[in-house]
Amino acid sequence: MTGAHQAIGKSIERVGAREKVTGRARYSADIELGAPLVLKALRSGRPHAEILAINTEKALRIKGVAAVFTAMDIPGKNLTGIILKDQPILMGDKVRSIADPVALVAAETETTAEQALKAIEVDYRDLPPVFDPEKAMAEDAPKVHAKGNVMVSRTIRRGDVGSAFTRCKSIIEKTYRTTFIEHNTIEPDAGAGFVDSDGTLVIYASTQNPHYDHKDVVTLLGLADEKVRIIQAATGGGFGSKLDLNVQGFIGLALYHLRRPVRYVYTREEAYLGTAKRHPLSMRMKTGADENGRLLAMQATIICDTGAYASYGPAVANRAPVHATGPYAIENVDIRSYGVYTNNPFCGAMRGFGTPQIAFAHESQIDLHALDLGLDPLAMRMLNAHRVGSTTATGQVFSASVGIGDCLRAIQPHYDEARKGWTAAPAAPYKKRGVGIGAMWYGIGNTGVQNPSTARVEMDRDGSVTLFTGCADIGQGSSTVLSQIAAEILGLAPQAVRLVTADTKFTTNAGATSASRQTYISGNAVKQAAEQLADVLKTEAMNKLRVAKSALMFDGGCALVIGQPDQCVSFAELAKRIKSKGASLSWQGYFDPETVPLDPQTGQGVPYATYAFAAQLALVTVDVLTGEVAVERVVAAHDVGKAIHPESVIGQICGGVAMGLGFALMEEFEPGKTLSMKDYHIPTCADMPEVVPIIVESPEPSGPFGAKGVGEPALIPTAPAILNAIADALGVRLYALPANLERVLAASIAAGHFKPAP
Amino acid sequence: MSRLHYIRPETLAEALDHLDRHGSRNRILAGGTDLVVDLRNGDARPEFILDVSRLHELKGIDVTPEGVSVGAGVTLSEIQSSDVLERHAPALRKCSFTFASRQVRNVATIGGNVAHCSPCGDTVPPLVIHEARAVLASRRGLREVLVEDIASGPYACSLPPDELILRFILKPAADVTFADFQKIGRRRELVIARINAAAMARQEPDGRLSFFRFSLGSCTPTPHRMPEVESCLDGRVPTAELVWEAGRLLAERTIAITGRRPSTIYKEAAIHGLLVRMLHPLVTS
Repeated sequence: MTGAHQAIGKSIERVGAREKVTGRARYSADIELGAPLVLKALRSGRPHAEILAINTEKALRIKGVAAVFTAMDIPGKNLTGIILKDQPILMGDKVRSIADPVALVAAETETTAEQALKAIEVDYRDLPPVFDPEKAMAEDAPKVHAKGNVMVSRTIRRGDVGSAFTRCKSIIEKTYRTTFIEHNTIEPDAGAGFVDSDGTLVIYASTQNPHYDHKDVVTLLGLADEKVRIIQAATGGGFGSKLDLNVQGFIGLALYHLRRPVRYVYTREEAYLGTAKRHPLSMRMKTGADENGRLLAMQATIICDTGAYASYGPAVANRAPVHATGPYAIENVDIRSYGVYTNNPFCGAMRGFGTPQIAFAHESQIDLHALDLGLDPLAMRMLNAHRVGSTTATGQVFSASVGIGDCLRAIQPHYDEARKGWTAAPAAPYKKRGVGIGAMWYGIGNTGVQNPSTARVEMDRDGSVTLFTGCADIGQGSSTVLSQIAAEILGLAPQAVRLVTADTKFTTNAGATSASRQTYISGNAVKQAAEQLADVLKTEAMNKLRVAKSALMFDGGCALVIGQPDQCVSFAELAKRIKSKGASLSWQGYFDPETVPLDPQTGQGVPYATYAFAAQLALVTVDVLTGEVAVERVVAAHDVGKAIHPESVIGQICGGVAMGLGFALMEEFEPGKTLSMKDYHIPTCADMPEVVPIIVESPEPSGPFGAKGVGEPALIPTAPAILNAIADALGVRLYALPANLERVLAASIAAGHFKPAP
Repeated sequence: MSRLHYIRPETLAEALDHLDRHGSRNRILAGGTDLVVDLRNGDARPEFILDVSRLHELKGIDVTPEGVSVGAGVTLSEIQSSDVLERHAPALRKCSFTFASRQVRNVATIGGNVAHCSPCGDTVPPLVIHEARAVLASRRGLREVLVEDIASGPYACSLPPDELILRFILKPAADVTFADFQKIGRRRELVIARINAAAMARQEPDGRLSFFRFSLGSCTPTPHRMPEVESCLDGRVPTAELVWEAGRLLAERTIAITGRRPSTIYKEAAIHGLLVRMLHPLVTS
């Protein structure tokens, strides 16, 4: 690979940026359909109950109410879910959480729809609820689903933990807890739809995975594939929340029965109530290290509360244990993880799938060992960090692209400076300063299962190129990156590549925009498609120019002889020649990372083809009298393999730090109590520290131009770094997130800092 | 849904006429950053909205013979950029810096903040330490009340519905050497205070406090002065020990008013801590 890329590694203007800045981007709520009906769901308001009867008569008598649907109106299979099909879109027999929809109203106006909701009568028989996942695991606990409350479990075993602990000088055993977290996408969930002239149900949606939506809507309605078309509208963020079928099923159901345009735009309150949350995890972790600080053993039990439905819960319950060691080589592990149903709101994907939670645990543990052994926390991380040739807890041996050492080395000078200068300098009265490190690894793509992507690159007879990808750009910039990849292969300016994205009528499945997978997986699919087209073009150019293929290059829509630019032929001419021979100008790419499924008993296998790595450093000031924490500076080094669009990588890092700061200090969702952003605090600009992003590029041989991913990794090390910095400042550690005012002040008091200044 | 009438009078007389006729079915729009939220969630269901943004009688910040006059329609942004307030009521100016966010400050008014009667209103403790009076107008004439007496409880306004707050009169901070406002919230902007407080003092060259005023917000049903805390410090040299004791006393007096509740676990220590932190610049060893 040469360093001289013309499109890769350039921070070109982002696809769609102009439309968004000037307000021309059309989000689902902006789709003009001509007097659409308004949809609204009636949600149960009770955590666990049998539905005895639903009476919609009074609602239907209200003027302007077009229809009220219940589970009985669903023509196909009323069960959705990307991994396990356990979630009806309208409940028929029972409700399992306060958010469960039992009826759907279609009305002329919002007000009428609201009135109709109030007029629907539902008879319930309350069932005993269970909210604590540990209690839900008991034999005699109320059953949320008939098959039992343990949705999924995973064991990862390697080596001999028992004997390894006997060789440890330092053994630390602690329990860590995190809470429900709300995604707070800037655009609440929304969708709109109409029935096309050929009878196709066309659904626009704010979504991260249009092709999954398509599959579940088709199944729900019992329709043929071509009778449903999902188009991703401009989407204002997802963070995992828009991987579920939120409004899409409702819109499909209404279109099916009413054949009239409909729309459903969630209020912020409904998005809070009705969509997935981040899983609260309880993590009991025992680790041991020898006198040099080498980690020898880890034993852990992880319990993930998935609430009423699976959603992406199985992914979280699998990914958390796989990542439990952190980016460190630990030879002996015994890790068990359980995903458990409760009557809480359902939990699903959220930026990191359990890794941000587990990183809080492993990064606290390593700091506790360093303290115990009198070692420097950064040096101890360096000693244990994975490298090429080291083996993971699942038995995977790294062969390349292990940038954790480089990330730790990148923050080292900032760390040394902070230790010498910043923390050593006298702080203001009643303030304590602290420095903390957080490190992470993150497997790109889904855990030990197939997760392919496809893409198509087509050339028209005029030589212009169109990239068709099912990949949903939700603001992270995948459309830009994918067009850069296609452009690089074809020697075009990225802006010259026409894009058709995330429309199930025209694009093929690219899988979910999740698991930081689109650059790596869809990037490879696009690259492969473009390379096939490039090969056909070069073959034809060879015929025309009478030189070897290897002597040809592309530039500005022409194929030319290297070193003799006047010897050239335009793409338009090549396209005509190829077409006239009956050869194809449309090429499909496919990529599925090479993985080995995890063994059901031991968890051994190759869960991911590649991993991203990162290390962050946080500098905090803690007010020992009030518990306020100010994060002053975060230095964030991220190994992304190759930054295809460096400004987007920096954007992801800064956004990740913001989200991580919220997770660390203030975000906490209490089911039934947290109703909107009024009750839930995410950081504002004023809360943001100075962020120093450092891009580390440890190229991944199987990645497009060496790229891996950064979307989720950006968030993961921040909370551990901040929590370690608070512990450094106070000398007392917190084991539960968030480190809110109450917890920090209590820790300050416990540490003896709450007293008159000397 | 009943209809909502929006009225925006050009003169005070029109406004007072309207309030005289419809006051009990009316809500005053003085910025709207609280009212619009209440309208949306159904906490406010008036028939009329009276927008007072055109009334010049509610505008302006001036030094008058009676004291510093701040119009009820003055926005928090205007407070933030006021040199007059920086000189004569610096704690009031300081509260504007952390008040909600810039967008909110550009429309939210001091009159609206006071009349909303939230226990957490950020402008109230600074007004209270200046013994501010509100000048009220109605068809019945003008009268004045202490700002401290406007709220009769959380979100409960004691003013009759036909009255409009025209302005506030603050006792100027004569020869004050120290003034401050502080706030604890779950984040730095766009946040309702968990605790807020205002203080001002005059410290003599020998370190003695010859004048001290303090008001606590967000902790009691209505913010007001804390006489025990004031007399604990007034006339004395604020040593670290004395300030610590004042903080303890403040927490004790606050809990005497509110009783113990779940939030007391944090607030007891944090109220104490906030006072200590706030008064630390005065500490003389």
